[in-house]
Amino acid sequence: MWREIRDREAGKTSPNSFKNRVNSFRISNLQLSNHKDIVSPHRGSVNSLQVDLTEGRYLLSGASDASASVFDIQRATDFEGVGEGASIAKHRSLFSIDKQHQNGHKFAITSAIWYPIDTGLFVTGSYDHYIKVWDTNSTQMVMNFKMPGKVYRTAMSPVATTHMLIAAGTEDVQVRLCDIASGAFAHTLSGHRDGVMTVEWSTSSEWILVTGGCDGAIRFWDIRRAGCFRVLDQSQSQLGRRPPVPARSAMNKVITSKALSKGQNISVKPRVPQKKSASGNGVKHSPLGQIPAKGPIKQRLHPGMLSSQDRATAHYGAVTGLKTTEDGMHLLSAGSDSRMRLWDVESGCNTLVNFETARLQTSKPIQLATTQDSTLVFVPCMTSVKAFDVWSGKTHVTFRGHYEYVNCCWFSSQDQELYTGGNDRQILVWSPARLISDEDEGPAEDQDNWSD
Amino acid sequence: MEEDGGKVRALIDKATNSTAAHVDPRLLKAIKTAVRYSDSELRIAAQTLMDLMKRDHSQVRYLTLLIIDELFMRSKLFRTLVVENLDQLLSLSVGFRRNHPLPAPPAVASVLRSKAIEFLEKWNSSFGNHYRQIRLGFDYLKNALRLQFPNAQANAARVQQERREREMRTKEILVKKFEALKENLSLLKEEIRETVDEIGECLEIVKNKEENVLLGVLDDDDEDFEEFRPLELRQLRLDSLKEGEKVCENSENKVVFDALRELYKLLVSKHLISVQEGISVLIRVEVADTRLRDSMLKEFIDIRNHLQSVKKKCVDSGCALPDITKHDKEEEEDFWEEGKVESTEPGSFSEPNKRYEISAVSSTSGEVKNDPFKCSTEKSKRGESLGSEGGGTDSSSLRSKLMDKAPVIEWGSFLDSWGSNRDVLANNRGLELESHWGRVDPDAVIPAKKIAELNLHATLYKEDQVEIPPCRAPLRKGGLCQRRDLRVCPFHGPIIPRNDEGNPINQSNSTSDINLGTDLVEQLAKQAVKNVRDRDNEEARKRKMDKQSQKRAKLAKIREHNEAVLRDAAVASTSGSSVIGDDVEASSRDKLLARNKKKLSHPCCGRK
Repeated sequence: MWREIRDREAGKTSPNSFKNRVNSFRISNLQLSNHKDIVSPHRGSVNSLQVDLTEGRYLLSGASDASASVFDIQRATDFEGVGEGASIAKHRSLFSIDKQHQNGHKFAITSAIWYPIDTGLFVTGSYDHYIKVWDTNSTQMVMNFKMPGKVYRTAMSPVATTHMLIAAGTEDVQVRLCDIASGAFAHTLSGHRDGVMTVEWSTSSEWILVTGGCDGAIRFWDIRRAGCFRVLDQSQSQLGRRPPVPARSAMNKVITSKALSKGQNISVKPRVPQKKSASGNGVKHSPLGQIPAKGPIKQRLHPGMLSSQDRATAHYGAVTGLKTTEDGMHLLSAGSDSRMRLWDVESGCNTLVNFETARLQTSKPIQLATTQDSTLVFVPCMTSVKAFDVWSGKTHVTFRGHYEYVNCCWFSSQDQELYTGGNDRQILVWSPARLISDEDEGPAEDQDNWSD
Repeated sequence: MEEDGGKVRALIDKATNSTAAHVDPRLLKAIKTAVRYSDSELRIAAQTLMDLMKRDHSQVRYLTLLIIDELFMRSKLFRTLVVENLDQLLSLSVGFRRNHPLPAPPAVASVLRSKAIEFLEKWNSSFGNHYRQIRLGFDYLKNALRLQFPNAQANAARVQQERREREMRTKEILVKKFEALKENLSLLKEEIRETVDEIGECLEIVKNKEENVLLGVLDDDDEDFEEFRPLELRQLRLDSLKEGEKVCENSENKVVFDALRELYKLLVSKHLISVQEGISVLIRVEVADTRLRDSMLKEFIDIRNHLQSVKKKCVDSGCALPDITKHDKEEEEDFWEEGKVESTEPGSFSEPNKRYEISAVSSTSGEVKNDPFKCSTEKSKRGESLGSEGGGTDSSSLRSKLMDKAPVIEWGSFLDSWGSNRDVLANNRGLELESHWGRVDPDAVIPAKKIAELNLHATLYKEDQVEIPPCRAPLRKGGLCQRRDLRVCPFHGPIIPRNDEGNPINQSNSTSDINLGTDLVEQLAKQAVKNVRDRDNEEARKRKMDKQSQKRAKLAKIREHNEAVLRDAAVASTSGSSVIGDDVEASSRDKLLARNKKKLSHPCCGRK
């Protein structure tokens, strides 16, 4: 550790790589935090967690008891502990919105997200068919949208600069985009054949929306155009992943070349500039990762998409969770078939990474989380949370702490902390082990106590 | 290393392979020592224990849990190892997951469950601060599953709190008592002073009477024989002297003694107790004004000491044994009755009476007996608890009159709180006793109203036993008729007072059958009058009258007897005995046996 610091000071390592190294070191040492408690005011299972994207300070949680709470995760409200140690920081909720609130939700809140631009607004979606937009400071509802069915998931694009749309996946087959600016539905996206469990905006393009439905399909939408432009097919697969950056592709060359040699895909490399142009202006000739079999009809995406393509499924059963990696090039999906899949967004192919999930929750949407550098994905696996290596699918750590099913997790890359919420009403904080454990333990120190 | 691990494993296996309710302490100790110095062994132990917890048998799990607890409380490494899989451990020991219930023997399973919960609480209280997992598990079981924890700490806190409250309330009550005491202090002191003064006066009176008798004897005895006697004898003598010094009760100072007794009783059972109580209140009470309290306390202690000295004086003077005096009285009564029945022997007719008088006067000083005194004892016997004034039963006639009217109540502890309306602590026994029936509320207060209600005395009306006199008519086979009829004996006619031989008393000397008829009429009339009067009169008076009449009868009999004796003597000296004897026989033919007896007793009479 000290040597690394010295190296950085000496200029041997760049600050960036130093930071990455420290980050990854910390992440690899995550464990249940004993000095940071979030005191959950919820009386029902915690369904949604998100730390705000601007300050990385406020944790928003939504729970089954129709309550949503905000916690300050940087400053504890009080400390608890023995003696002068007082090592346990208690983070109590700054405020809660529950059934008692005059505009509160009636039924379980399934989704609570921050307005991505600042912390002045947040959005909650609930089983009572409403999506409500709240003013954080006055804790008053500023807007609500009546949806045709139970709301499963809402999402706002973290990179959007030109729109303020809330994508909502509901019981209904249609995905609706609610415009905060106008207070009306901007789009109704139809294509799914069943309710939509999960929605996710692309992290690379503000126009691209990915939705996963109970019909097992994952659809890509370009909101500027009608219809979905891609349905992920689990049988369309490629081995390995494309190198994220050509310069760093040396280690993956073998795999790539293997993939190439198989002739399964058209060459990836030529695609890259294509994609850039595609996301740039989104003109008609921008089908991303077009499958070679569909060569003849490659320009026709909608409404003339082949019905076989349109009926493709990504999972057997419902798609319960979606997460795009930070760089926007890959998509992780979880299904009720207890499978995790890593998709190459560019090609739309299943990368055939075998994630060692034992079982996943089937009935509820789950919320996945990735680290910033997309090395680890945190997946709620029944009562535990597992961290998988994204590229190999190997289990990195298993976080056991919840006593019932875990529904959601959120990784705060600023603090390298993981927050998980589950049916046992708890919100747990998993933080890196303290490097320097020189803190004085109180008089009742935790020591061996052999009487004989 | 490996064989070491095998050793721990074997030890644990052996320890858990039992049906006992506890782990064998020796095995446990062996495990602990084996694990203590080697981390690797500890790891192996933890692994083995967790594996054992998965066994499908509650007994094994139970014993394993006991070992886990032992190690958990001791080793930090073990804690960190166990805590990682705490949810698993809990689900295996508490069995809170519905799809994984606890295995077979249900009895052991329930014990396991309760033990696990208990352990979790213990772990949480001692290590919860260091292990989030323990806190989580505890919190989950408690708040989400709402399992019932034994809650030892909270219980202790609650008990503490209750105790504090109780003390507070006790204090309050004490303060109230203190206030009451402050108010009543002067009154109490006044009362006590009066009593003490009266006792002093009584003692004075007694002393004065005795002094002149005893002093002279005491003084010259003292010096003479000092050298000769051995120690014991001297002690004996001193004791006896002291005994002699004691003022003895006699007929003259009996009134004084009675009064003294009453006062003594009052002193011991009321004043002394109330003073004690006051002292205890003062000692326990906490008030702002400590000076006042201290002065009061001092005062009370002085009073108590004074009272005790007075009590001692009373005891020394020998008056202070109410039980014995009562007993004495009973004896007297018995004696009296005896005397009445026993007057069959004509020769010793005056004996019992005399004896009674002597005993009543207690034989020390030859005082003259006086009749009015007897009456007064009778009265004081009745109004025992009324507390007559020192030496003046007859002086305050109004008072005595009122006292005659006043109802007599049995002595009881309730008299202590006569007329007071204070709340009383119900469970204040001074002992810290826990009841089997649950928690005892030590501050339960019985309100004054309830006390009054409880002290309400139901008095049973007791019918005075009227003694029906026997018929006492002489029987043919000898003896007297012992039938007890109210008016008329079916065999012997109306019941009339008779003498010991069965002769009616009211007749003149020669009892003949002829004037029996007139006698009967007369008797009936008399009886009627008497009955009418009796109905009006008190029982005691009636009895007295009876006694008087009997006495009269006795006197008459004595006279008769004496005459007979004189006559006999005269006849004997003149030798006409047989004729006169016949004459006598003719005059009272049917009382042969009695007369024979009489004859037998003649010589002794004659000698006398």
